[in-house]
Amino acid sequence: MFLTRSEYDRGVNTFSPEGRLFQVEYAIEAIKLGSTAIGVRTTDGVVLAVEKRVTSPLLEPRSIEKVAEVDKHIGVAMSGLTADARTLIDHARVECQQHRFSYNEPMPVESCTQSLCGLALQFGEDDEDKDRMSRPFGVALLVAGWDEEGPVLFSTDPSGKYLKCKAHAIGSGSEGAETTLLEQYKADMSYPDAEKLALSTLKQVMEEKVTATNVDIAAVRPSEDKLGQYKLYNESEIEAVIARL
Amino acid sequence: MAAPPLQLHTPASIGPASGPGDIKSRPAWSPYDDNGGTCVAVAGSDYCIVAASTRLSTGFSILTRDCSKLFQISEQVYIASAGFQADIRALQKMLQTRNVMYQHIHRKPMSASALAQLLGNNLYYKRFFPYFTWNLCVGLDPEGKGSVYTYDPVGSFERVGYSCQGSGKDLIQPVLDNQLKAASPLVLPSENWMTALPLEQAQDLVRDAFVSAGERDIYTGDCVEILTITTGGVHRETLDLKKD
Repeated sequence: MFLTRSEYDRGVNTFSPEGRLFQVEYAIEAIKLGSTAIGVRTTDGVVLAVEKRVTSPLLEPRSIEKVAEVDKHIGVAMSGLTADARTLIDHARVECQQHRFSYNEPMPVESCTQSLCGLALQFGEDDEDKDRMSRPFGVALLVAGWDEEGPVLFSTDPSGKYLKCKAHAIGSGSEGAETTLLEQYKADMSYPDAEKLALSTLKQVMEEKVTATNVDIAAVRPSEDKLGQYKLYNESEIEAVIARL
Repeated sequence: MAAPPLQLHTPASIGPASGPGDIKSRPAWSPYDDNGGTCVAVAGSDYCIVAASTRLSTGFSILTRDCSKLFQISEQVYIASAGFQADIRALQKMLQTRNVMYQHIHRKPMSASALAQLLGNNLYYKRFFPYFTWNLCVGLDPEGKGSVYTYDPVGSFERVGYSCQGSGKDLIQPVLDNQLKAASPLVLPSENWMTALPLEQAQDLVRDAFVSAGERDIYTGDCVEILTITTGGVHRETLDLKKD
């Protein structure tokens, strides 16, 4: 394995003779080390559930942020090098605000995802552009949103690829979680059932016991004006979901 | 051969020439013209009417009798503009490219409200060298209700139930106010961005308005193009006006 990769995994812009970009593939590997994040879409809203690795009792769990609000109607869950996600999320926030400024409407979730993936591909070795990354982003995102189409869930990876999903998992427990989602996801699921599915799936793949402090749940659901509204659950709301498991 | 001395315009040299042979004068730089024309739009509960005269003038001359002032952005969204023809064309060209890019990026046509914001931004962007255009942005909103946005040349805009822009505005707007100002009872609580008139009556009102404006306004005449936008499609009709 390393024999064939020996020369061609140095440069980020160099294809191997088999047509592979090893640095991008390694970046995808980095996600498999990350904490698990799960997204489930229902007709009534999209739920994101993420694992927070509280590695020490001296750590303040609230400071671990694995889900973020991009705009009123879009939230993202991340896995991998979460520091890289900051750059991506900042970019998405600017794009969403720019869209609101230009068109006085929320940005379509797919356009926002596409713009994130556009940035994910802008890495290179030359230092012509100081704002550009020298390596691929080592992070995968689950983009949950609500737009004219209704509820939508996208998954992105470091290669700049994005997929529209009904339910998806990223991170270290993704394989196990995908199997569970495949078995238990139903297209006509109610939103509370989706909450339960996301958290129970997360519980299965987590090493630690699920508590209100070591998971985060976020939702994008329709608000009164029929537009999407992002919401991060507080501890008591998470506990209420745990109680239903 | 020595070059002639450079003529500098100092403050003392500005103003009317003081005598024969005196070349002290300020070159007039006037980048604008007013080519006239009138636009009217009315928003109803399930329709939208937009109409514009087709005469293009400069001073006392008629440049053409057949120049449309309506510009289609998407299936159900139009811009109507009066004022300086070159600026109108530049504005339309810019909006068209922005619209095409919007559709490439977002895979949907631009809504009337999105276009309304875009037009407002772009007019304000030229706040200190404005497009000399008086615009209306017209279409159906997502619920199929008519929507009319009215602008000033520097981009201040508002959603209204009806509006008139251009050279015939002083003649037509008061008539529209008189006939349409009452807020629609179809929207509760009452809002002034929709009129209560049934479609046929609104069409008649628009026709009468243009025929009347054509009597007195020398920049409104020849023909009026009237578009009726409904969820069923766009109906176009033309009505001849006086040619004098």
